Amino acid sequence: MVTHEDVLAIARLSKLYIAEEELDDLTKAMDDIIKFADTINNASEEGVEFDNINNLSNAFREDEVVPSYDREEILKNANDIDEGHFLVRKRV
Amino acid sequence: MAEGKIKHYSDLLENKEISCKELTEKFLTEIESANKDLNAYVKVTPDTALETAKKVDEKLARGEKLSPLEGIPMTLKDNISTKGIETTCCSKILEGYTPIYNATVWETLSKNNAVLLGKTNMDEFAMGSSSETSYFGGAANPHNINHVAGGSSGGVASAVGGNIAVYGLGSDTGGSIRQPASFCGIVGLKPTYGAVSRFGLIAYASSFDQIGPITTTVEDSAIVFDAISDYDKMDSTSQGRKGTPTVDSLKNDIKGLKIGIPREYLEGIRDDVKLSIEKACEVYKSLGAEIVYFNLPALKYALPVYYILACAEASSNLGRYDGIRYGYRTDSYKDVNEMICKTRSEGFGDEVKRRILLGTYVLSAGYYDAYYKKAQNLRGSIVNAFKNAFASCDVILAPTVPMTAFEKGNAISVPIETYLTDICTVPVNIAGLPGVSIPCGFNDKGMPIGMQLIGDTFCESKILNAAWQYENAAGAEVFKASQYGVKL
Repeated sequence: MVTHEDVLAIARLSKLYIAEEELDDLTKAMDDIIKFADTINNASEEGVEFDNINNLSNAFREDEVVPSYDREEILKNANDIDEGHFLVRKRV
Repeated sequence: MAEGKIKHYSDLLENKEISCKELTEKFLTEIESANKDLNAYVKVTPDTALETAKKVDEKLARGEKLSPLEGIPMTLKDNISTKGIETTCCSKILEGYTPIYNATVWETLSKNNAVLLGKTNMDEFAMGSSSETSYFGGAANPHNINHVAGGSSGGVASAVGGNIAVYGLGSDTGGSIRQPASFCGIVGLKPTYGAVSRFGLIAYASSFDQIGPITTTVEDSAIVFDAISDYDKMDSTSQGRKGTPTVDSLKNDIKGLKIGIPREYLEGIRDDVKLSIEKACEVYKSLGAEIVYFNLPALKYALPVYYILACAEASSNLGRYDGIRYGYRTDSYKDVNEMICKTRSEGFGDEVKRRILLGTYVLSAGYYDAYYKKAQNLRGSIVNAFKNAFASCDVILAPTVPMTAFEKGNAISVPIETYLTDICTVPVNIAGLPGVSIPCGFNDKGMPIGMQLIGDTFCESKILNAAWQYENAAGAEVFKASQYGVKL
């Protein structure tokens, strides 16, 4: 059974605020989903170790220095910048 | 037989029956009117489109030959990065975000002078089955606008089904190419994991995500897949296409082809869908293929395994949205932590928040073994079950979705019931297999029904060959154009 406290604890880890009026509905939705997810614990089989898909393995290569993206271009997408850096100002 | 549209338009251009500028303008005009009903496009890019059209016309004027996709008007799902063109994943949190690089698939196509008409609608961060979790509202089904186009690549499917794009690229994490293609009566190919580069695809669940084409015919699907399936050093999971181009073997005889149907896929599907699948089997038998039924019990756990693992990966992938480097940022805050939390809470929609919370839950201490680890192990069982199945059949045939397109508003009211509709599509993503959805009929309300052909890894040629043969034999009965868009 998922409780309000569970949802709030998970929300804190997820860096999300849950409004008081959302809490009941969200707890119910989470409980439904977790109950559904729980069906895998009824599986009689343990399953087999799975660590990658389609037999992928690490593909190592020599490191080469190539031009990267332009700093000014990257910063254009930011809300607030200062002297070539991302900035987070206090704004209350 | 449904005529391949790409070749048709390419011939019109080569034969100078229409200029690329005129063709592009026709599409742009139709988008203007049809998009009011369909809401397929969230951004139209006439300048980019006409600029490319000009290049194509100049090339034609010089008497040069065009490559297969050159000059063909198309679209991209809004989670595929386009340099200089806003890419939002249909989320408020990416409002105003303009990539500074192209996704590899778009880099490849734009070099081939593909005419980009615009970016298309989708469920926010590709999380949904109806496109209705989009910040811009849902995309409508071109066969009946009171129904959804499906999701998450609903905008691409609506645009292609509505003939306001010749083809488009979508992404498929749990069925997001195949399901909307099925709902809109068109063709959607989810390639093998690793066959098409995902560099520049905004991540949802990285061990499932795959880019693929949405087209009106199987031939078009093969042409686009061949163009984009290449090894890319920018995607560490990339392997590229293995073997010859899929168009080469499209028309091969399928006499003796063994088509397997896992009985589990036929449980709980609507009668109209079942009937269409049975009819398709008859068509295959008439072509000399053999139908074999078998059991695939591991499929029973496919849905919870998918939702646990995909949400776990999403909760990690979406950790990057903090309002600092790009996208939306909240107005007022006391400190960095509050800024991040408020930005995320205001920027993400309800479905995205639910999946982040579920993902964080199954990865958290105390629950990791019971959910995440157990689901990973069952994923291993499902992979093995498919491997064994392909030892005794060449391709698998199954419904794409247990039903036809939902009416608007129904999908988002009960999340868990909507999750259940992904039952037929998620196994393919879990096992990294290729799957193609093709139209196989209409129900009595005129809504399209789709079926999927699933192959072993890197066997796109085989499933597209089987799909083409069906399409060719079944003909007009399963393929009806919608009332919308360009008809030339």
